[in-house]
Amino acid sequence: MDTAGSEIILSIREVTKSFPGVRALNGVSIDVRRGMVHGVVGENGAGKSTLMKILSGVYKKDTGTIVFDGKTIDHTTPYESMHRGLAIIYQELNLVNSMSVGENIFLGRFKEMKGMRGTHAKARELLDSIGCKVSTTKLVSELSVSTKQMVEISKALSFQSKLIIMDEPSTSLTGEEMSLLVKIIHQLKAQGISIIYISHKLEEIFDFCDVVTVMRDGNVIDTKPRGEFSRDELITKMVGRTIENEYPERSRQVGETLMEVKGINTRKLHDVSFTLRKGEILGLVGLVGAGRTETVRAVFGADRVRGHKVSIGGKPVTIHNPKQAKDAGLGLIPEDRKLQGLVLPFSVEQNISMASIDRFTRFGFLIKSLEKGIGARHVKSLGIKTPNTKVAIKNLSGGNQQKCIVGRWMEIGPSIFIMDEPTKGIDVGAKYEIYLLMKQIAEKGGAVILISSELPEVLNMSNRVLTIYDGRITGEFDPEHIPADVIMRAALGLGGAS
Amino acid sequence: MNNLYRLFTQQKAIVAIAVILLVMVAAGGDVSRIFFSSYNLLDMLNSSTILVILGLGVTLTVIAGGCDLSIGGILVVSGILSIQLQNFMPMPLALVLAVLFGTLVGFFNGFLVVQQKTEPFIITLGVGLLLTGVAQQLSDAHPVPANNPDFMNISNGYQFGDGQFTEGHFPGIPNLVIIMLICFVFFAWLIRYTSFGRNLYAIGGDYDVARYSGINVVANKWMTLVISGTMSALGGVLLSSKLNTGSAIYGDFTALVVNCGVVVGGTSFAGGVGGIWQSVLGLLLFGLLDNAMNVLNIPSWYQMMLKGTVIVAILWMDSYTQKRKRELV
Amino acid sequence: MNKVGFILKDYLVLLMILGLALVTAIIQPKFISPANLNNIMRQFGPLILVALGMTFVIVGGFIDLSVAGTINLVAVVTITLIDPLGQVGALVAGLVIGSICGAINAGLILTSGATTQAEALFITFGMSTVYSSLALIYSGGSTFHFWDLKEMPNMFEAIGAGSVGPLSVSFVIFLGALALLWIFHTKMAAGRAISLTGGNKTAARLSGVPIERSIVLIYTIAGFMAALGAIVLFSRVTTASPVIGAGFETNAILAVVVGGTTLKGGKGSVLRTVMGVLLVILLNNCLNLLGVSSYMQWAARGAILVFAIWLDNRKEVQGNQL
Repeated sequence: MDTAGSEIILSIREVTKSFPGVRALNGVSIDVRRGMVHGVVGENGAGKSTLMKILSGVYKKDTGTIVFDGKTIDHTTPYESMHRGLAIIYQELNLVNSMSVGENIFLGRFKEMKGMRGTHAKARELLDSIGCKVSTTKLVSELSVSTKQMVEISKALSFQSKLIIMDEPSTSLTGEEMSLLVKIIHQLKAQGISIIYISHKLEEIFDFCDVVTVMRDGNVIDTKPRGEFSRDELITKMVGRTIENEYPERSRQVGETLMEVKGINTRKLHDVSFTLRKGEILGLVGLVGAGRTETVRAVFGADRVRGHKVSIGGKPVTIHNPKQAKDAGLGLIPEDRKLQGLVLPFSVEQNISMASIDRFTRFGFLIKSLEKGIGARHVKSLGIKTPNTKVAIKNLSGGNQQKCIVGRWMEIGPSIFIMDEPTKGIDVGAKYEIYLLMKQIAEKGGAVILISSELPEVLNMSNRVLTIYDGRITGEFDPEHIPADVIMRAALGLGGAS
Repeated sequence: MNNLYRLFTQQKAIVAIAVILLVMVAAGGDVSRIFFSSYNLLDMLNSSTILVILGLGVTLTVIAGGCDLSIGGILVVSGILSIQLQNFMPMPLALVLAVLFGTLVGFFNGFLVVQQKTEPFIITLGVGLLLTGVAQQLSDAHPVPANNPDFMNISNGYQFGDGQFTEGHFPGIPNLVIIMLICFVFFAWLIRYTSFGRNLYAIGGDYDVARYSGINVVANKWMTLVISGTMSALGGVLLSSKLNTGSAIYGDFTALVVNCGVVVGGTSFAGGVGGIWQSVLGLLLFGLLDNAMNVLNIPSWYQMMLKGTVIVAILWMDSYTQKRKRELV
Repeated sequence: MNKVGFILKDYLVLLMILGLALVTAIIQPKFISPANLNNIMRQFGPLILVALGMTFVIVGGFIDLSVAGTINLVAVVTITLIDPLGQVGALVAGLVIGSICGAINAGLILTSGATTQAEALFITFGMSTVYSSLALIYSGGSTFHFWDLKEMPNMFEAIGAGSVGPLSVSFVIFLGALALLWIFHTKMAAGRAISLTGGNKTAARLSGVPIERSIVLIYTIAGFMAALGAIVLFSRVTTASPVIGAGFETNAILAVVVGGTTLKGGKGSVLRTVMGVLLVILLNNCLNLLGVSSYMQWAARGAILVFAIWLDNRKEVQGNQL
């Protein structure tokens, strides 16, 4: 495969992007050539989607240059980007479900297309060009994911795109649908269109990508023609080496079974079962959308899931809502603290106390002094930086807000503590404090279920790791003794060595 | 069973209309005869027209994801203005100004809802209440009589006939119905064949996707409220013409009935779905309901209760189907 | 500008109305007369009771437009029950009916899975019609007077016009209700649960806060307070008509919003509502003395409602950008 020699359609140079508390891209440079399928791999948080969102105009880069089709691009909007010939097909798909295929392809361009007739005629043409037979008048909501992708591709073609970015396109496709997609990709390639293909599925990368870029922690680790990579090398570069001294030593007092979960079945999850032991930190490893959060929410009773069995300490328990979960000794730190965890206009004290109201209620009355004590206690023990506990929680930094939520549950002292992205957006010092906390909980005879997008974090903190892929548990590992590559492989749905 | 459920929720209007028609047929005897007479059917059509005219504008706002509860207030003020202004100026000018009043209010609503990003349901409710007060002020809480036969003729005159209902003699079509049909055709065209109309579906269906596609969501949404206001004013003028008086009492319930009729026809508050045909069907349902209840000689308070119950049931169903959709995802 | 502007916005409506009061005092010295001030205090009864109930619904993150209908229904039913059930029996019956109306509202909202204020608005708006029509059907459209009863209902008369020392009975009722509700809201767990429900329903639910119970509570309280307001109202005027409640929902919401409780839910208090009612009454009083017609007053209240909602929205929009 001759990759040198064809001209560069997209040149990214030293692009950085930071969000409050985290550096998402750290001087990233990539060249994409015309007519090439350029694969991008990396685990959660590597920076892939941030980069793509900058390219398509959803985010603004902090520094660096981007040159597309010979023109330097500074600030842009999704609309301009599309018109310039750079299209992106997101995992979540940017279509209006309540409208027809034809109208979605030409959204906002009704007049240009000369009304309904022109829209549907041209849409038909585009769909036929990639071999898609769906009727242009069908509503998008009735389509399969695969067909929706075809519609998005047609949309990209309607703008005469020169570069199409596909973000995890194959997550919901069947084998047959995947073959169809590959056929189309080859077709586009033959037309001189470049494709950036983001995926975790290494078979795909090795199947039809010409060049591969590996990203990790906001950096580009390597970019080489596909033929020069071995699978193992790819995985190693994705995962990197874990730095031991950022994390406290694992507690080793793992005891007998504390909780058993059998047979969670939802639209996404398939027969998920696992056990949790006293004194252990159990990590759930998987890609975004694999089903980690769904699993813990089902256990916690946060979603209307029925049919699975949970037993704690050998006795079966019914957990159909968070209150029952609380009573059974569970606690949950939710994934999105702003939407699901914080009551922004309320005070630090009230946010911390809200799960333990029963504790400072006598005959229905709130004992304010007890509540105050609760607030003060956790502010102190967690090192929450706030002028006082009466301040509105929206004024605290993200890290401190998260600590308040931790404190909320620490007050209950659950025996089973579920933490979903507990250290997201928190500075290093505060992170370490939370790690110590997790360890403390385990050592006191409780257990922690940990979900984190940072692989090193999960691997270093957990006594045991479960990998979840596509709604199924694919493996159980001891992260202390099994290399990260093996675990990663299971999380990517691959079995055995390459 | 699943299919029946789907029929019930998606074609609520058709099912309800079918039910009412069945009831009227089953009632038999005099009741059926009167109900299905040409005079009655025409009368029913006639009385639905105002609701339909209002509904056309509201449909646009609901498709785009909002709503307009000020229509009642605009209706009554414009109605009263259309009569009172005739004391100061020739009729055509008075009517134009009365309608423009609605346009102005619509513009103000648009400012509050779209530019200032206030919740549409409650702020348009507030504006409607404000206008109801203004209407009462203007009319001194008495119906304002019109004394211009030309004015009355606008709504009540007939085309293609002389309005006489005698055996074998075609009475013609009331002006009001003709006006409604013209508006109906215009809006049906607007919603399906113009980029403005199609863009509204996008905005209501997925605000962000519409925005990313370069659609000017602010301007379009604003426009829906301007149009809704204008149509409400038009409806007010025509109603005053029909009744030959302007009165402040028609405001309160109207907003609810029209918004509800639009929803029952299939234009959900969720946005992005529905259309002119659907909304009209939903509104005709209410006209049908009113008429049927009258023919059945149901006392007016029971009518009110029945109507209120139907409205709550419809809204309940709308929320319930939203909930079901959420759980499926 | 920010810090000062923020505080200014919080009290803008308050300042506006106080300004109006000042102007009125200057133009119409009658404003400050003891007779007028007494008049003002008299008006405190029904509206404040309804508004206190409405406060809970709004703090809980919802809204209730059915209070007018509830008031209509409770008024006509209670007065007609005085003869058969005795005064106390009728009073209790009235309060129970109001509470049931509220509970029905809550039931409809919970079973339909409605989560937004908009859905609650439409459903309660519809129920207002149902309750009002029930009132009309029950009463046959007639108005009932105290003097039609077997004997004058002295308890109700006392509620309407009696005094306890220097204070009117209705004022005492108001104080009692205020105290109980304030204690409930600020010092009891169920009250805190309501605030949390309005503050962030998802976070509250995940923390085990009883959401459904809170929703039932807020609407039942609103219904109960509407009933209490209806009783004070018809006791005052010694007649109960099936349309006696007209306009109460607007005034109640206006009072709550003007008082500073945000429509978004979570934050707010009954004390603020008291201030809001005072301002609304003051506003009405001033406009009256200035010779503004009652219809324009209605319009003015509508205008202030729109303004207050707009202002409330601006505050939230800005506040969240911090």
